[in-house]
Amino acid sequence: MLIQSHDEAAGPSRSGRPLETAVAALALRLARVAGPRLGNPVLDRLSQVFARRHPRAAEALAELPAATVLVDPTDLPSGLLLRLGPGGLRLRLCDAAATTADAMVRGRFGALLDLAEGRIDGDALFFRRDLTIAGDTALVVALRNALDGEDIDLLAEIDAAAGPIGRFGPKARQHAAQTAARVAETLSGLRSALLRPEARRLDALERRVARVESRVESREP
Amino acid sequence: MAHFELICPAGTPAALRAAVDAGADAVYCGFRDATNARNFPGLNFSVREMAEGIAYAHGRGRKLFIAINTYPTAGNPGPWHQAVDQAASLGADAVILADYGLLDYAARRHPRLKLHLSVQASAANADAVTLYRDVFGVRRVVLPRVLTVPDIARLTAETGVETEVFVFGGLCPMAEGRCSLSSYATGQSPNRQGVCSPASHVRYEPRGTTLVSRLGDFTINRFEDGEPAGYPTLCKGRFVARGQASYLFEEPTSLNAIALLPELKAAGVRALKIEGRQRGKAYIAAVVGAYRQALDSFDRTGRAEVPQLAPTLADVIEGRRDTTGAYTRGWR
Amino acid sequence: MTATMNDAQLTLGPLLFNWPLAAWHDFYARIADEAPVDSVHLGEIVCSKRAPFFADHLPDVIERLTAAGKRVLLSTPILVTTDKERAAVRELLSMDGVAFEANDTGALLHLAGRPHAVGPYVNVYNEGTLAWLAGRGATSVTLPAELPEASIRAIAAAAAPLGVAVEVQVFGRIPLAISARCYHARSHGLYKDGCQFVCGQDADGLPVDTLDGEPFLAVNGLQTLSRRYLSLADRLDGLRSLGVSRFRLSPHAVDMVEVARLFRAVLDGALSGADADARVAERVGEAGITNGFLLDRPGADWVGAAHP
Repeated sequence: MLIQSHDEAAGPSRSGRPLETAVAALALRLARVAGPRLGNPVLDRLSQVFARRHPRAAEALAELPAATVLVDPTDLPSGLLLRLGPGGLRLRLCDAAATTADAMVRGRFGALLDLAEGRIDGDALFFRRDLTIAGDTALVVALRNALDGEDIDLLAEIDAAAGPIGRFGPKARQHAAQTAARVAETLSGLRSALLRPEARRLDALERRVARVESRVESREP
Repeated sequence: MAHFELICPAGTPAALRAAVDAGADAVYCGFRDATNARNFPGLNFSVREMAEGIAYAHGRGRKLFIAINTYPTAGNPGPWHQAVDQAASLGADAVILADYGLLDYAARRHPRLKLHLSVQASAANADAVTLYRDVFGVRRVVLPRVLTVPDIARLTAETGVETEVFVFGGLCPMAEGRCSLSSYATGQSPNRQGVCSPASHVRYEPRGTTLVSRLGDFTINRFEDGEPAGYPTLCKGRFVARGQASYLFEEPTSLNAIALLPELKAAGVRALKIEGRQRGKAYIAAVVGAYRQALDSFDRTGRAEVPQLAPTLADVIEGRRDTTGAYTRGWR
Repeated sequence: MTATMNDAQLTLGPLLFNWPLAAWHDFYARIADEAPVDSVHLGEIVCSKRAPFFADHLPDVIERLTAAGKRVLLSTPILVTTDKERAAVRELLSMDGVAFEANDTGALLHLAGRPHAVGPYVNVYNEGTLAWLAGRGATSVTLPAELPEASIRAIAAAAAPLGVAVEVQVFGRIPLAISARCYHARSHGLYKDGCQFVCGQDADGLPVDTLDGEPFLAVNGLQTLSRRYLSLADRLDGLRSLGVSRFRLSPHAVDMVEVARLFRAVLDGALSGADADARVAERVGEAGITNGFLLDRPGADWVGAAHP
């Protein structure tokens, strides 16, 4: 019949999406050294690009009552707090364990990415145990439905949002903000890694992120 | 002999395009309000999106039906009348209605608008269908999921009305449009608000290693660690009767009548319907594509060859099991 | 209490459960002799397999009730799918000397053009549908259980000028769903075709609990009912002011004569609604009472007294 047994069913997230997860982990390490002063504008930029590219979804999310959704990737060090409602979409990194929200979606990053890209739907969300939903279930369903109405290619989204980061680099250099420059360079490296995945490139990036971290830490009192 | 018409769901413009591209003969959609029975957060079409959807479908030789299949609220029929008026002016190929008063309105106001009877009207016998045919000029009836194939054959032959049956997706074990289980637990019903077991009243509670799904004030199911969870649709929950916990009303299965294509053809069925306006575009593309392939192959060979869906789809089918439901007598 | 309350009528709905023939006979004999109800509905509306047991005895019971001054109506089945079931409906509707209540669209086809009642299983959600039904001969409608006060108000306002009486259920388990599948049989590991009439074991339906052991629903063959008993004694006054003139009591294995007397007493101003609801709550025990639907809340809710 159409439906295969559980064992044969290797759903999208069961492949785990290791590359995306590794890149996201590096990006989050970078974000931590960069701090919110540098990180928040990048996230705001991502929201703006999303609203411009997907007006239908942005409108649907803005029509919701003001509310927050905590996205908690269990295999990454940071969570993402989404604010929905009249002010439009706002994204912030957060410490998932210390953050409260109206609704929470928890799972491995790969599964969450499938959700964001519309690879799994609102019903399937509940048929699998690799995602946990808590709080306002309707909010999560609304978010999922809004995203599914779009043809979202997360790589393209990040590429569009990251475009100015490249330009941001030299500008930051003028102001002698060494950290910002290195962060920007490394970010654009991460971007390339997603677009042209190669294991060696990822290893090199990992070393680069570590260098940025140690430089910043050595300057801290 | 005419081909089966494949009728596919769309909750968003992206899903509509996916359905058309995957081979739907017609797509059914609703406006973004309580006038349709899938009034879920973030779903459905604005008037402009509906116009674009119709253009997309018509541009590729396909049809678009608009479901206005909740029961208008007493004292406030405006939104439902407006939805029918808009469907007519946008050039929808049919409206899918359930309420007598709204059918009466549509038949009087828009005599050229093609009327389909929604499954929510639960027209389960030839006498009922005859009334809708003779009084409102209904051209097609979407049959409730409580009939056997022989029941369907007799009804189709006797009334001469086109019949459309569900072949895939969520299965209502109850007669549709005659069920207040959801509103008993949540205050919101398919008939009034266009929702069943709405997400706004769903809570998942971890209790030790088990996960409990709650609807309103009631526990609908409990899952052990690792056991696939289900959405707490009331009739697909686990309850205790005669001292035993079981899926008393229906297991969390998905309807799949693909093996019954020859029987449904012999029964005179005109159109096959896929459930799931709330489902994602990836799901819709996969299911519609598989059915398109099966129907094309059936047209050539007269046999129902069951195609393999992508393994990823097994994941998104409720309970990962399927059933031919009421179409075969053993279900009862 | 105002004098207008006295033209309010009490109706006994059709018996939904599969009672032994003797109990069925005794029940209607006692209703005829003692219950202060104006109308009585007869007819097996849940499962066509049960109907043959009672068919031959219907004329006697009709005669007895009529002789006692009750208006008798025959209610048609909720779900009609087979040709045999259709033929049974046509046969029922050919009986002389009684009125009929339609519970599906097929029955409406046959009753067109002659006065008839429309039952709670026909979806009357708004004034548009009410007007359409009135145009075809409906003289009364019993509204679906899930309608809130606001809807009842709008429908009743439209019904008055059309001469259609509006009725609502005020006592008994609430019918929530109908299926082609028999859940009574299923709970016994049987199918509908070989059901052994196990529904006869539960006079008020088979209790269904949640996994937490909370009382939730009641199964009656193909039908699913609320576990709680609707009890709107304290809301009769309010419903009357909305234009509702008939109040339906749905039969149960409790003392229905007493239930009818309680509701009659409230309509006559001899007993407070809150007291009557409290008495009903005592009689139905742990199942509990509910009024949520009327107040636009979950149907399972009990909101409390209208006049605290």
